[in-house]
Amino acid sequence: MNDIGEFTLLLALATALYGCIAYVMSARGNRIDLYLSADKTPFIVWVCVTISSICLWKAFLTDDFSLQYVWAYSNRELDTFYKVSSFWGGQKGSLLFWTLLLSTYMLVVYFQNRNKNLRVVPYAMAVMLVIVVFFLFLINFSTNPFERIPLPPEDGRGLNPLLQNYWMVIHPPTLYLGYVGFTVPFAFAVAALISKDLDDGWIRMTRKWTLISWFFLCMGNLFGASWAYVELGWGGYWAWDPVENAAFMPLLIATAFLHSVMIQEKKDMMKVWNMSLILLTFAMTIFGTFITRSGLIQSVHTFDEATLGYYFLAFLFVIITACATLIIARLPLLKSTNELDSFFSRESSFLFNNLLLLGIAFATFWGTIFPIISEAVRDVKITVGPPFYNQVNVPIGLALLALIGIGPVIAWRRATLSNLKKNFLKPVLASLIAAIVLFPFIPLGNRAEIYTYVTFVLCAFVVTSIFTEFYKGTVSRMGLHEESVAGALTAMTWRNKRRYGGYIVHIGVVLIFAGIAGSQAYGTHTEKHLQLGESFEIRGYTIKYEKLVAIEATSIKTRIIAQLAVERDGNRYWTGHPEKEFYKGQNQPVSEVDVLSTWKEDLYMILADFREDESATIKVYVNPMVSWMWTGGWIIAFGTMISMWPDRLEQRRRLDRIRKQEQLFPSPAQE
Amino acid sequence: MHTIKMMTILFVFVWVSAGQVSGVEAGVLLEDLENQLMCKCDDKCGKVLINCTCSTSDKTRAKFSKMLESGITVEQIVKMQVDKYGETVLSAPTKFGFNLTAWMTPFVALVAGGFGVRKVLLAWVCKKVKLILSMRLLLSQKFQKNIPNV
Repeated sequence: MNDIGEFTLLLALATALYGCIAYVMSARGNRIDLYLSADKTPFIVWVCVTISSICLWKAFLTDDFSLQYVWAYSNRELDTFYKVSSFWGGQKGSLLFWTLLLSTYMLVVYFQNRNKNLRVVPYAMAVMLVIVVFFLFLINFSTNPFERIPLPPEDGRGLNPLLQNYWMVIHPPTLYLGYVGFTVPFAFAVAALISKDLDDGWIRMTRKWTLISWFFLCMGNLFGASWAYVELGWGGYWAWDPVENAAFMPLLIATAFLHSVMIQEKKDMMKVWNMSLILLTFAMTIFGTFITRSGLIQSVHTFDEATLGYYFLAFLFVIITACATLIIARLPLLKSTNELDSFFSRESSFLFNNLLLLGIAFATFWGTIFPIISEAVRDVKITVGPPFYNQVNVPIGLALLALIGIGPVIAWRRATLSNLKKNFLKPVLASLIAAIVLFPFIPLGNRAEIYTYVTFVLCAFVVTSIFTEFYKGTVSRMGLHEESVAGALTAMTWRNKRRYGGYIVHIGVVLIFAGIAGSQAYGTHTEKHLQLGESFEIRGYTIKYEKLVAIEATSIKTRIIAQLAVERDGNRYWTGHPEKEFYKGQNQPVSEVDVLSTWKEDLYMILADFREDESATIKVYVNPMVSWMWTGGWIIAFGTMISMWPDRLEQRRRLDRIRKQEQLFPSPAQE
Repeated sequence: MHTIKMMTILFVFVWVSAGQVSGVEAGVLLEDLENQLMCKCDDKCGKVLINCTCSTSDKTRAKFSKMLESGITVEQIVKMQVDKYGETVLSAPTKFGFNLTAWMTPFVALVAGGFGVRKVLLAWVCKKVKLILSMRLLLSQKFQKNIPNV
């Protein structure tokens, strides 16, 4: 089976190589025979990569420790659930998983666009195949997951205990779905540049792909934060680690792209900008992979055998150089009319939104690479950690939050003074009321608290501006169609899915902002060493240490569980069971926290230490509003789903547009 | 004028973002210290001390707590750590010398970008105004031609 896996990887590489050459030659030479031949390669590549992946999964599930990769990331005692996820637990498997997703995406694109736009699609397929070739080359010749051990050991080394968590089963695939997804708009953008077909066709063809990838990347980041929160046991969810940054940067740039692309669709402007943004987004996904696999920047997430950095750096260099050359060569064709009616318009607000999003992305990138710069310039190693990112990114983030509120209420093309007064009155009033109401209750003793106060006021501004939009639309529809409130609201949202779906996403973003602000500024924690029966108080909760239990969960895992009674106003409120897990052969035990999560706050418990006399050190955090962030994530998911839902009206408009084009430029047959 | 505006905005940004937190209460001194330093465990976990849960970090915390109780200030402890491990033990770059570029560059880029966006937008608005004016001129010329001389 392992031989089959290895062979199919080689076959996939050869087919992909042939495919990209054949696609390019067919497009350049108008060779239909070559095109038909090339058109079979995405399917063959997908079949080969899928077979290879199945072989690796089978090796994990059957404990085949003759494979070095299976030995390094699995063992006999590992739960089947985690044996499946061990596939992407290390560098070799993660690259194969990336290739599997990429070839699957490529297959879907192939079926979606078969016999459509024969000027652009062959080049797009060729670009995707080039990327597949790069990954398959690495897998085949540098980091082969089917590498054998001459004398297979009895048992494996096992999966890192920190990765044995359900979020780690969901988080990497979600993130990869986002990372890999951006290959599709990137490929179509490059194809448009090569084929000189530079209208907004490539944007329309890839709009849903961009949204889907953005959604997965967003959820991947949130799932990663959830994993850090419940598994790392430090009471936080985001540490500005280089690899977290690497997942965050493409998300920011893609968000900028999603906004600015609307201006191109509406006004045929900013073609060069949009092209650059999508290329930069893709480059950032490769940069993220470079960070994880280079070992050049110290990170919690770096793979054990991070040896592929220079391949990715070279690939990144080739991508950036090729794309920049293509854009420069096509500049005359990318010229757009670029006219604006007024400085005060939604178009301008989108441009400033792009500036702020890229500002945060740049600050994050700068912080990530500054240790390398410092070492190169001064020969001094330094660390750039959370204090830097918090101090630099928070003010920019607040300006961005304000723009989320300004965007919906400022008119397209031209905002007059009366129009601004009318639209801004309610949101500004709401924020003023919020500022006055919150002032007596919120401490303003340090900068974090002041920022949080400003965040809450801005959240009130944004939410009011969005709800005003929903209110105005619903009322006008009720008047026109004599519908109920619910009916009008649903019909309005359904008929303008993209617009109102976007607003719902913004509400989710506001909740995330509020959650971050609340948890960062008003959290508290304490650490106590307790004997059995002792208790302590934290923010109205009485925590009583009741018992300590040791359980031999498996032959390699021992669980030490503390039982903590939580009382409020003299009544038993909840029972927490934080624990420490000891794995055979691992230096450090793993903390399994227990969290009582409510809308107001999280009571977060950690068993920090214990002794033979059954005394234990208990650490308790009270983190306000953390659940707001997770709720925000689900609202973003809901909003994105609405935005992406197929729109019959849009399809009809597209057909009308095609018909009009056909009337303007009739085909030879019609002539 | 533009330079003065740019410098003012830059100053405000840097002041807002890079100013020191004042009035730190005694109870949060340890937390402040933990925020400023990285964990230096054998595993090279790469975490800020406050976020680290390894056994080394627990010992370091206990040591720092005793040092603070004995009257050593946060600044003194930080200096001792820097002398021992080098600048890499700090969780953020210092705010002087070459490291200042770490703090300044994002804001310089943002302010420069802001002026760039403003310039581009004004140019686009001007283009439209010019277009409208030339259209008006054309129309009025055409209109005058069609009016018979009286």
